[in-house]
Amino acid sequence: MRFTIFQDSRQGDRSGNEDRVGYSYSRDVLLLTIADGMGGHMQGEVAAEIAVAEITRRFEQEARHKLRRPFDFLVSAIQSAHRAIVSHAVEHNLLECPRTTCVACVVQGETAYWAHAGDSRLYVLREGALIATTQDHSRVQQLIDAGEITPEMAARHPDRNKIFSCLGGVVPPHISLGHEVKLQVGDTVLLSTDGFWAQIPPTIIASMLRKQPITTLLPALLVEAQRRAQGESDNLSIVAMTWENQSDASVADTQALEDQQFTSSTNSTQHLGPSGNALDDVTDADIERAIAEIQDAIRKVPR
Amino acid sequence: MPQQGNQPLPAGYVLNGYRIEKPLSSGGFSIVYLARDESGTPFAIKEYLPSSLPLRTEGHEVHIADDANLSVFRHGLKCFFEEGRALAMISHPNVVRVENFFRANETCYMVMQYVRGRTLQFHIQRNRHEFTEQFIRRIFINLMNGLREVHANKLLHLDIKPANVFISMDGRPVLLDFGAARITLSEEAMKLKPMYTAGFAAPEHYRFHPDELGPWSDIYSVGATIYTCIAGTPPQAGDQREQADHMIPLRTLARQDYSSALYEIVDSCLAIDPLKRPQTAYELQKVLMEEPTAVEARRSGLFETFNKPISKLFSRGG
Repeated sequence: MRFTIFQDSRQGDRSGNEDRVGYSYSRDVLLLTIADGMGGHMQGEVAAEIAVAEITRRFEQEARHKLRRPFDFLVSAIQSAHRAIVSHAVEHNLLECPRTTCVACVVQGETAYWAHAGDSRLYVLREGALIATTQDHSRVQQLIDAGEITPEMAARHPDRNKIFSCLGGVVPPHISLGHEVKLQVGDTVLLSTDGFWAQIPPTIIASMLRKQPITTLLPALLVEAQRRAQGESDNLSIVAMTWENQSDASVADTQALEDQQFTSSTNSTQHLGPSGNALDDVTDADIERAIAEIQDAIRKVPR
Repeated sequence: MPQQGNQPLPAGYVLNGYRIEKPLSSGGFSIVYLARDESGTPFAIKEYLPSSLPLRTEGHEVHIADDANLSVFRHGLKCFFEEGRALAMISHPNVVRVENFFRANETCYMVMQYVRGRTLQFHIQRNRHEFTEQFIRRIFINLMNGLREVHANKLLHLDIKPANVFISMDGRPVLLDFGAARITLSEEAMKLKPMYTAGFAAPEHYRFHPDELGPWSDIYSVGATIYTCIAGTPPQAGDQREQADHMIPLRTLARQDYSSALYEIVDSCLAIDPLKRPQTAYELQKVLMEEPTAVEARRSGLFETFNKPISKLFSRGG
C-alpha cells in the first residue's frame, strides 16, 4: 500500500486538549482513529485516550495479516473501547463515566471501511468533491434530517453540541457503519473533530486538495479553523490519508515493512504502562507481542 | 498482625466485559476468579499476581514499588505467557480450554472455560475410600487422552498432581494449571526456572537439565498422582528418593484391595530411572486399559460399583 498520512491535534483556545488522533498500519492494513473527549464530562481526555489506544491495540492484535471482516472488527473494537472506558471509570470510582466520540477507519485492499459514534466526522474527498461522509449522531443532525432546520441554522443552534451516541457512559454506543469505498488514486480520507469541521466546510477542503497535498494544506487549514473561531476555538484535530499511485516508487510502500510489523503514532499524552527500565528483560512491546501470539493461537485452534 | 496479602478483585468488578463473581482459588502466582460475560456464561479467569510481591493492597491496579520487584514480576509474567501459549494450542475435552487472554490493571488475565466440579485433591480428601480400581483406571485412562494431546503439541505439563486434575460433574477429568508447562522446543522457555511440587515431580525435574525432561517426567507425576489416590499421601520426594529410596510400597498403604497389576503400573511410573517408566502417555494408557484378571477384579469389589454413576459416587462432594 502506498499512501500519505497527515495528523495533528491542537488545543485551540481551550485549557486542555481532549482530542486524540492516531494511525497504525502494517503491510496490508491501515487504521485511522479520532476521538473527541467530551467537555462537561469528567476526564474527557481519558476517554478519548482509551478509545484510540484500545482500538489501536485491537487492530495490532487482529490485523497482522488482513482483517477478515473489517466492519465486524470496527464494531467490536469500538465496543471494546467503550467497555474499557467504563471499566476505567469503575476502577477509579469516577462519579461520572468519561465519554468520547469516535471515528475509526480501516483501509485494506484499496477499500476504505469506517464506523463512528458521535459527531466527529469522516469525509472521503475525490476530485474536488465530497463523495462520502458520516452522519453526525447529534440532535441538530436529527433536526436537519426531519427538515426542521437548515444546515446553516445548525451551526448556531443552541443544541449543536448535543450528541446521542458516544463511548463511555451508561448506554452502549450506537455505532453507524460507513459504506465500503473503493479508493482511487488521489482520494483523501479525512477524519476530524468538530473544532475543525465546524469551521471549514468540506467543499473548501475538497477543492483546495486539487492543488495541494494534505501535508501542506491541512496544517494551514488548522490555523485557519482556529482563526475563524475568533478566540473561542475548540480543540481541533485531523488525521487524513491520501491514497497514492500504487506503482509510484517515490512514495513509501508498506510492503517494505516486515511481516506483522506495525508503524503507529498517536498524540497520546499519558503513558499508562510502567516506565522502561534497562534491567527489564521483558518490555511492554514483548508483553503486547506475547498476548497477540496467544490471541492468535486461541483463534487458530478450532474449539 | 499477619502481613496483608494481595487483595483479590471485588465481586461485581467488571474486567474487560467479564463481571467478577468471586475468587475460586489463589496460588503462588495467581488468583482464579469465577466471572461471567455479558451473556451470563461463566468463566474461570486467572489473574497473574505473584503472592510473594506486595502488588495490590488496595484498588484494582497492580503497583510495583521498585525495579527489583518489577524484574521478578516480569519474569513470572513470562511463565504466565508460556502457560497461555501452551493452552492456546490445545483443544481437547480433557485439557482446560483457554478462551481469551488480555492485559488489564497492569497485569495479565487468562480466561478459561469454567468446569463445574472439584479437584481430584478434594475427592482424595473426602472420598478416597470410595475410589475403586475401576474408577481410578477410568479417570487416568481419560486423563491420558488429554496428556497425549499435550505431548503431541510438544509440551510438557511438568506439574501434574491431584490439585491440578479437575473432575467435572459428569466425571470427566480435566487437566488444569499449565503454570509450569514448557514448550520443549523453545529454548527460551527452557531457561525459565523450574517449578515443581515435592512428591509429584520426577527426580530429573529437580536437577533441571532440560535434556533429561520428557514425557516420562509427566508420567512420573501421573504415577505419583495415582499413588496419592490410593495412599492418601504423595510418595517420598523424587530428589530424596535418589539419595535414599524410602518410598513406602503402595500396597502396604492401600485401604482397599486393588489388583497387583495396578500396583505394578504405579511402581513402573515411579521408577527413579526414567527409562524404566512407561515412555509415553499412550503406553501408560494401554496398560491401564488392560483389564485386571477376573479373580483380582472380584476381590477388589469391582462389580459392586461397576455401574454406579460417578455423580452418585461423589454426591457428598457437591
